Amino acid sequence: MSNLIFDSVTKIFGEGSSKYVALENINFEAESGQLILVVGPSGSGKTTFLTIAGGLQTPTNGDVKINDSTINSLSKKQQTKLRLEKIGFVLQSYNLVPFLTVEEQFKFVDKLKSQNLTEQKMHELLSDLGLLELLKKYPNQLSGGQKQRVAIARALYTDPDYILADEPTAALDTDRSMKVIELLRDLAHKRNKIIIVVTHDLRLKDMADKVYQIIDGKMTILEK
Amino acid sequence: MFLAIKEMLHEKLRYSLIVALIFLVSYLLIILTGLATGLANLNKAAINEWDASSIVLNSDSEGRLQQSFLSQDEVASLPNNGTRISQYSTLVKSENGLKENAQLVALDSKSFIFKKLKITSGSKNIRNNAGVVSDKFKSDGFKIGDYLLVANSSLRIKITGFTPRATLSALPVVYISPDTIQSLNKGVTNAVVFKNTLNNSKIPKGTNQLSIGSFINKLPGYSAQQLTFNFMIGFLYIIILIVISIFLYILTVQKLPNLGVLKAQGVSTQYLVLSTLFQSFIMSVIGVIIAIILGEITAITLPSEVPIVIDKSNIIVTGIGIIIMSLLGALIPIRQIAKVDPYKIIGG
Repeated sequence: MSNLIFDSVTKIFGEGSSKYVALENINFEAESGQLILVVGPSGSGKTTFLTIAGGLQTPTNGDVKINDSTINSLSKKQQTKLRLEKIGFVLQSYNLVPFLTVEEQFKFVDKLKSQNLTEQKMHELLSDLGLLELLKKYPNQLSGGQKQRVAIARALYTDPDYILADEPTAALDTDRSMKVIELLRDLAHKRNKIIIVVTHDLRLKDMADKVYQIIDGKMTILEK
Repeated sequence: MFLAIKEMLHEKLRYSLIVALIFLVSYLLIILTGLATGLANLNKAAINEWDASSIVLNSDSEGRLQQSFLSQDEVASLPNNGTRISQYSTLVKSENGLKENAQLVALDSKSFIFKKLKITSGSKNIRNNAGVVSDKFKSDGFKIGDYLLVANSSLRIKITGFTPRATLSALPVVYISPDTIQSLNKGVTNAVVFKNTLNNSKIPKGTNQLSIGSFINKLPGYSAQQLTFNFMIGFLYIIILIVISIFLYILTVQKLPNLGVLKAQGVSTQYLVLSTLFQSFIMSVIGVIIAIILGEITAITLPSEVPIVIDKSNIIVTGIGIIIMSLLGALIPIRQIAKVDPYKIIGG
């Protein structure tokens, strides 16, 4: 059973008159098998929350714990390793390496992790996501929905405990957005992952197990 | 280096342009280095063949053979294992009208220099107005048995053999005996060449001992010529450094968002840096190989009057130099890669 905990996390940018509180005293907990939505308007602190959860930034105050280990006290190198092994990122854009085919995106992960799961796991994942016919295509030959599904498959390929998704539906129409969120929810439930989706799209909130709202750096839980 | 190779294969045009630039500058570098070596050889090839360590000249000669005249007493007080050299620059003609500017060099047939002379054809005989001549005469149409008529004199030198790499101050050498040169320079000895370096106590007053390296550097025009070439060659290395640096910098800046995302996904900075260094290495190796091949073809096709020498040591030194410059050129883009903050890319 994995967990992700924010313990009184505050993030402040700048100093003096340019001081800006991006996150204020955030307490948050996620457990395996949950799809969690973090919603809020632009500039509310959603992405800051996500990047701190992924070890890309350190909080000014408070601790972020993954499986009870504090990640903000790890070195940069350890944080990079943690991201490679435990966390999968799904981003709005630039998520796929533009000069690698879909198949090569997975082979690249194999090279990085010195593993060779390509044949077994990649085919299983892509088949689950209906992407098998896209193996030889480059990202610029895929539609927005296909790119996002490949990105999700790629994030899952390393079998991470957590998937952090930043506006994964921003470039998609309603129908495709719903399908992507459904897919993420199924992955959370069937594969027992923690999936945190940051979005400003309130249409998706019915699909989530928990919904948090961030406004002006303050987080509250929303009743569904 | 999976990422590096895949990127280069996918972005063929971009990377081919950089390779083309590296090739052009490398080609120019190889040709210039070949010319510098060729011209240097023209000046000093004969001296190198002597395989000597030092030369004793008149103190007032400024290290120049033509300006040096040693008295009989000075020559006599030097150790007798040296080779006495008399030199005379002149025009020689064949009986059928071929002309050649030449350096007549007189030495004893028992001297260590003469013993070391290699013969490509004919015999090694300089007695009775015979001469062993540079094989440049052969390529210009002279044959064994031809007579060289020395301008402004009645001296006729019979060609008995050809010797390779025998040029001095860019002119082909005619090795003759001291008796033969007597009528041209009244038996003056210009210098004495030694296989070893003499103790200073053995150098008579009024004379000066130079190492063979220093003597070559004092050949007329030699240092100025080599400095000019070295300046151009050095400048081309700097151009390679700048070209690689600018192109890789532009490519890196264009893909910063991708690099940021890769870092966010757990790809280490070290991997991305090595990937860029590998690309730089591969591009320079390809550029250098093409430049070497075309340089060799150019050297073969150029007329024999162009003194170009592209030898193994030139190729190795130039190739390694270009590759080092390319790797140094990748340092600025590497700094960019190290500085990419994935948060800034994701956070917008």
